Amino acid sequence: MSTNMMKLKLKIWRQADHKSKGSMQDYDLENVSPDMSFLEMLDLLNENLINSGSDAIAFDHDCREGICGMCSLMINGEAHGPQKLTTTCQLHMRSFKDGDTIVIEPFRAKAFPVHKDLMVDRTAFDEIIAAGGFVSMNAGNAPDGNAIPIGKATAELAMDAAACIGCGACVASCENASAMLFTSAKLSQLALLPQGQAEAKERAISMVKKMDELGFGNCTNAAECEASCPKGIELSNIARMNREFFKSALSK
Amino acid sequence: MASQACSSGICGYLCSSIGKKQLMGVTAFLLIGFLKTHLLGNFLIIFGRDAFNEYCYRLMSLGPMLIVAEIILLAIFLTHLVLAISLVWQNKAARPVKYYSKKRTGRGATFASDTMPYTGIIILIFICLHLWSFKYGSYYEYELNGIIVRDLYQTVIEYFSNPLYTAWYVIAMIAMGIHLSHGVQSAFQSVGFRHARYTPIIKKLGCILSFFLTVGFAGLSIYGYYISTTLN
Amino acid sequence: MSKLDSKVPGGKLEDKWEQYKFDMKLVNPSNKRKFNVIVVGTGLAGASAASTMAELGYNVQSFCIQDSPRRAHSIAAQGGINAAKNYPNDGDSVWRLFYDTIKGGDYRSREANVYRLAQVANNIIDQCVAQGVPFAREYGGYLANRSFGGAQVSRTFYARGQTGQQLLLGAYSSMMRMVAKGKIKLYTRREMTELVVINGQARGIVVRNIITGELETYHADAVILATGGYGNTYYLSTNAMASNSSGAWQAYKKGAMFANACFTQIHPTCIPVHGDNQSKLTLMSESLRNDGRVWVPKKEGDNRAPNDIPESERDYYLERIYPSFGNLVPRDVASRNAKMQVDGGRGVGSTGVAVYLDFADAIARDGEDTIRGRYGNLFEMYQRITDESPYKVPMKIYPAVHYTMGGVWVDYNLMTTVPGLHVLGEANFSDHGANRLGASALMQGLADGYFVIPYTIGNYFASNVIDQSITTDHSAYKDALASTKARLGGLLDTKGSQSVESIHKKLGKIMWEHVGMSRNAESLQKGIDKIKNLQEEFKQDVNVPGSNKGINTELEKAIRVSDFLEIGELMARDALTRKESCGGHFRDEYQTPENEARRDDENFTHVAAWEYNGEGKDPIRNVESLTFENVKLTTRSYK
Repeated sequence: MSTNMMKLKLKIWRQADHKSKGSMQDYDLENVSPDMSFLEMLDLLNENLINSGSDAIAFDHDCREGICGMCSLMINGEAHGPQKLTTTCQLHMRSFKDGDTIVIEPFRAKAFPVHKDLMVDRTAFDEIIAAGGFVSMNAGNAPDGNAIPIGKATAELAMDAAACIGCGACVASCENASAMLFTSAKLSQLALLPQGQAEAKERAISMVKKMDELGFGNCTNAAECEASCPKGIELSNIARMNREFFKSALSK
Repeated sequence: MASQACSSGICGYLCSSIGKKQLMGVTAFLLIGFLKTHLLGNFLIIFGRDAFNEYCYRLMSLGPMLIVAEIILLAIFLTHLVLAISLVWQNKAARPVKYYSKKRTGRGATFASDTMPYTGIIILIFICLHLWSFKYGSYYEYELNGIIVRDLYQTVIEYFSNPLYTAWYVIAMIAMGIHLSHGVQSAFQSVGFRHARYTPIIKKLGCILSFFLTVGFAGLSIYGYYISTTLN
Repeated sequence: MSKLDSKVPGGKLEDKWEQYKFDMKLVNPSNKRKFNVIVVGTGLAGASAASTMAELGYNVQSFCIQDSPRRAHSIAAQGGINAAKNYPNDGDSVWRLFYDTIKGGDYRSREANVYRLAQVANNIIDQCVAQGVPFAREYGGYLANRSFGGAQVSRTFYARGQTGQQLLLGAYSSMMRMVAKGKIKLYTRREMTELVVINGQARGIVVRNIITGELETYHADAVILATGGYGNTYYLSTNAMASNSSGAWQAYKKGAMFANACFTQIHPTCIPVHGDNQSKLTLMSESLRNDGRVWVPKKEGDNRAPNDIPESERDYYLERIYPSFGNLVPRDVASRNAKMQVDGGRGVGSTGVAVYLDFADAIARDGEDTIRGRYGNLFEMYQRITDESPYKVPMKIYPAVHYTMGGVWVDYNLMTTVPGLHVLGEANFSDHGANRLGASALMQGLADGYFVIPYTIGNYFASNVIDQSITTDHSAYKDALASTKARLGGLLDTKGSQSVESIHKKLGKIMWEHVGMSRNAESLQKGIDKIKNLQEEFKQDVNVPGSNKGINTELEKAIRVSDFLEIGELMARDALTRKESCGGHFRDEYQTPENEARRDDENFTHVAAWEYNGEGKDPIRNVESLTFENVKLTTRSYK
């Protein structure tokens, strides 16, 4: 364990509520251990703010082990910070140096309005899922789990897509604030599996339509989403969605 | 799930984000096809005034066929352009508040992908000027095998004799090359083609193609300047 | 007569549930739409209950703290989900799953509940496959199984190390389908602050809207809590930051009983604490013990680097003490042994509070690639957090609070002592007894939600008179609003000098020290006194900045911590009165000469359910005795 505590300069977006205009504020923070996670560093800052009678900085977080998708943050201009395949909660301060200035902003998109400070509203993702990211079956109807064999390779591909945690880094890092990686991950998972076939066409059309309605941008295939995805969701899912959508839209 | 009249079928497809980008991709493929034939034709300039003017004459003598082809080409181009404008507008609207600091991860976006709208604008301006110069520009007559034809070769030399004009062409072609270096692979992705083995090859071939188109067109511009200096 | 009627139906164990399903009263399909149900929590239990009831036709109102139901902490479960499908043909059966669960719980759970759980477990797998959950498969395309947490058969289904995530996303997707159909009304970023009981029936809740800060009331014909466990009482646990038990605790204050509060599970393989600013602990899947060997240096205070300690000076204590189970002993045994080593001064790492989990032998035997194939993700996660590579240096692990077997007391219908109030998943006390087996939490959450509550809620509606003319205009809602308002006002007005977080940390230290892996009467009594003092400190000196308008994360935490302070006291009380060692509850006074847990079946084969007795008064301990007609109580032995 390191004993060399760091001193940091932080530039953090503060915004009272979704109607207010926000701005970047400067903070100094001492005694940051390299073993701290990024969010523990923010906890420490908040503890200082509270003790000095100021309002704590609001940020989303929950599981702190990289799976719930609740944490977000643009850190020095990158979604979830500089480390590959890592959520903000799993990013550790040893990725930074003593004396560094760190810029922290919320994920920005029209479809992700800011609630407060660094906390944004990502319910748009739920709406996309509600538009068709499911198999229409009621509990109790299912045949035996082994009734339909699914090749290992297919199951693995479906799992790759299903690993999405819905954090929104893809939208945040995309120049166009596009939600195609998120949408395509769910669509791919269900398009790959036999269980998803029955309503594949309706699903592709309605999920894409909902995604468009919500004000996300379009895809220009720059792959920043893939690069910043903490779960390594691949661009091939977007290609699959493009195919699925083409097939579905023209045959409906 | 919703299936209203406008959300399905060809209309719904064309209104959708994916429909638009796929059309963008398909028009891109067609435009690239045109560019390749255009470059091949232009290469005839190397074989001298007769060869080049004969090529031009033959093209012109297609008559109504040429007009139809031109209209189709214009339609393709305008589709690409209009879609681009609508997509850029939609994409800008998708992030009303800009980041204070935004960095490329270095693992995804490139200079080319980030500058597509700008290189596109350069190409648009270029095409307008290009048509202004060579379609509706100076007209010289030339006798070829007893027929009076347009001496486009002379027009070419006339324009490229201006080093600034040549330089602008080179710059525009570099912009086009940058545009295509992202555009080719992007078009494949948009139409849904992606493969672990072939996509990297497509990316490379796309870059090679962009390079040759750039070098070809830009080279011919410089060649035009070169022959103008030898003639004068 | 005990106040606790388990309502376990008669008949043979194997037939109870089937017969009961037949005997239950039904709600006519067209009448279901006349009933409204509130579901608090959207983890596996809450989401599956909400979606299934909505599919049946009930109108569901669903509440969660997070911005989306997809984020509940069930998502973090790594290992898998058990079911007695017997696909591997290795001798598994419903009976064996039932037996293992009862035995693993150290005979402190209800036979009938556990048997039902084992029965419906198979349906869960089918249900999830049909939803598109991408379970691991064999090359032939059939579902893969693995052995998990010391089970003698391979009955665990898994989706890489993200089984909880995939199951939750399955339940969530079903739920969102019902949201789209308008059968579920979703209320996210809401935190329950009070239960509303009218005419003796649970009818509604008060929630705080986390975004606006406003208090809102919701009314229904029944209330279901699926709010998870109370592990965060310890401050440091593997639970998510927002995991709390305020919903369950408020239900307790309105008449539901809180059972077996002392049964907490300490998971043996977590990444050790690194410093004072640590906010939570990260669990490393138990599957690591399949290949990793646990050891400490033989010498006390040996601070050589692990690779410098020769084989002869290492103590592979689990293999030594438990030759037949070795590193795969149940969680409580592995945890307690780690603590004994650390207490004996043989702990490792800079804090001395850790033991090694070494993969060197496995790597030598199977090759680094094979090990990477099995645990690559986990090793990466470990390295990210600790900056050390488990391929080169042994992992350092230490037990951490992970799961709470105790919870709100429910009968066979999953209904509490408050009519209409049902509690599902980790929030209730049922099924796991004194210790939960690996890969059984997911099973229980989904069993409750998909296959139990949809039946029993119908029975409740059909067999009770529920006054549907009541609305949120009823005075009970005004009273509940007023009391919540007063409570929040009190927190905000204290304006003391200590942050909520710092008091929570203090509580965690007390809990870990006095109500931790092993307990004794003296220390528990001391713990209770300390907690009481801390409760007073909180009342007098907490500092909650900001107001009740808009987002106030400190106020949210303050509400939770004020409840944790009370739950902690109850846990200690329960531990003090359970004068035996069983499962996750180990009393120093009650152990065998070999330091194993010594149960007292004669006096403690029962559930202790605590009843709220008013502010400042000691709670009343009620007892539901457990009868075992189908299994013989034996002493667990893993030697």
